[in-house]
Amino acid sequence: MRLSDNWLALIFIALAAVMIGMTTTFPAFPGQKYGPALFPRILGTGIIVCALLIAYRARQRRSEGAVEPALAFDPVFADRTRLVSFLSIPLSVLAYLLLVDRLGFIPTAFLLLLGLMLWFGVPRLRALAVAVAMTGLMQWFFGSLMRVPLPRGLFMQLVQGG
Amino acid sequence: MAAIATAFGLIFDPFVLMVIALSAMFGLFVGAMPGLTATMATALLVPVTFFMSPVPALGAIVTATTMAIFAGDIPAAMLRMPGTPASAAYTDESFAMAKKGQLELNLGVNLVFSVVGGLIGVAFLIAGAPLLAELAINFSSFEYFWLACLGLLCAIMIGTGDPVKGFLSLFLGLAIGCIGIDPAAGFPRFTFGNVDLMSGINFIPTMIGVFAVSELMRGAVTVDEAGHMVQEKVGALFRGIGGVTRLYWKNVLRGSVIGTLIGALPGAGADIAAWVSYAMAKRFSKEPEKFGTGHIEGVVESTSSNNAALGGAWIPALVFGIPGDSITAIVIGVLYMKGMNPGPTVFLENPQFIYAVFIIFILANLLMLPLGYAAIRGARRLLAVPKNVLLPVILLFCVVGSFAMTNSPYGIVLMLIFGVIGWFLEEHGVPVAPLILGLVLGELLEQSFMTSMIKSDGSFLMFFSRPIAGTLGLANLAIWAAILWKVARNHRRAGVIEHADT
Repeated sequence: MRLSDNWLALIFIALAAVMIGMTTTFPAFPGQKYGPALFPRILGTGIIVCALLIAYRARQRRSEGAVEPALAFDPVFADRTRLVSFLSIPLSVLAYLLLVDRLGFIPTAFLLLLGLMLWFGVPRLRALAVAVAMTGLMQWFFGSLMRVPLPRGLFMQLVQGG
Repeated sequence: MAAIATAFGLIFDPFVLMVIALSAMFGLFVGAMPGLTATMATALLVPVTFFMSPVPALGAIVTATTMAIFAGDIPAAMLRMPGTPASAAYTDESFAMAKKGQLELNLGVNLVFSVVGGLIGVAFLIAGAPLLAELAINFSSFEYFWLACLGLLCAIMIGTGDPVKGFLSLFLGLAIGCIGIDPAAGFPRFTFGNVDLMSGINFIPTMIGVFAVSELMRGAVTVDEAGHMVQEKVGALFRGIGGVTRLYWKNVLRGSVIGTLIGALPGAGADIAAWVSYAMAKRFSKEPEKFGTGHIEGVVESTSSNNAALGGAWIPALVFGIPGDSITAIVIGVLYMKGMNPGPTVFLENPQFIYAVFIIFILANLLMLPLGYAAIRGARRLLAVPKNVLLPVILLFCVVGSFAMTNSPYGIVLMLIFGVIGWFLEEHGVPVAPLILGLVLGELLEQSFMTSMIKSDGSFLMFFSRPIAGTLGLANLAIWAAILWKVARNHRRAGVIEHADT
């Protein structure tokens, strides 16, 4: 997915404008000329200048006859399977975030591994074995050894009868 | 001397040695897997080392990256796929050698001269860092301001093909660094009343997102593609190394020195060092026409160079707290987390820690010989690990690692958001390395800038009033001029150079 340089520039100008706008609410400290608003304002200006330069170059290219679509897709994504493969990475993280508190770390991690591996075409038995082993390893290393408070959720309540 | 003895004591401890051995294997594996980079290895190691004391934590990072940069050469020769971007410069040359039946010579040369280059880089680090630290001890906010600027400018000048997009990325990184409590007045900025944002953008989940998750998203599309191995059996590795050394010892030295220098320049790391050294080797070769046909000369020079760059990158990181490459950018984040502010004072207050880093570097390079040998022997099995199993496992590791950094879902949210942002930026030709450098250096830059502005009452002339500050300031202006010239020249050529990301 690729936006044209014009749209890219527009997005960054808008972001920088919002940022500079927010700095107007920052307090000034009596007796000090330079407050917390100064640095972000300089950066916002920098972003806007870069964005304008990008837009200007795009304009020059257009005047030389180059055509840029507003939104272009990598031909790889025309293949539906590859598109899903690509999206599976961020979406599985999102699913993990939504489920982990309710289900607990062990079942959520297991499902994430198993689901992704099956989608990527790993043979079923191997996928199952790797998912079990890796979930166990992570729980042992981070949960027990490093004492990271991995969410316990429903699963541990059932296991421990609590 | 007492500090050196303490440093030896810190390292030759069973736990530390075990960490070094394990991270060596981890580094060899990650480096040898195409698509997994040394930077990614570092980002993934941080959550694991988070609970360790500084010496084993740094030992793990130094060892893993040293091994990874060498291990990247193995699939380059065998599959024509560089294991890390640092091997990309001579992948075709290595593969051409393998096709000619010189796989053993190529891998032997890569192993031996990676070790030699690495050791020369460390020698520069050991000789140079304390000298610079002595100089840096007298620096005021003006010098630090200019140094931070210089670091960021170098990153854009060397690390990116398109300075405009490089600057855009840098300003974005600095702006993201503004989120949280401001370093001068203590006012919470851009936090929207959110408690997590008050603590700022946690650096490690951000790195894991930008360097690992975005890479996984790209990798998921090509999960079914695999390389073809020309030759499965590897014979005697070290035959012919002596002859190569006699013929090309000058290349080894030149590659190592150039590699160290490029590594020490902020923003440019092992990958750029390898490209520059390969080009140098060709430029000064007596037989440049042989380059590209499976000729060893360029491989010798660039494989020395990329390992030397690793040591070089630690020079500005340890002395000024300014990272020489993306790996040391993570290291600086780790040091801050451990409550050690990198800078010249570490040399005075904790010299045993600096010596420990030096010793680990030497140890890691020496360990590379036997472990690298074993990795080459086992390469067939190593490279057979299927990507479709590896991707989900690494993703889960990223998720758990990011969670461990904040002990809350905030880390995972950051990782996801920055994974998508990193992918989006690279898709539009905006390099991500300046963004990370901006994020790391943002606080130092703002603090030294604000302090200097208040001291000088807004007069820019004061920024040049001290001798070293003045020199650094002029150096900044010179680089600005060079960048403007580059932009103008690109502009005249009409058309933007599409630059492959590093």
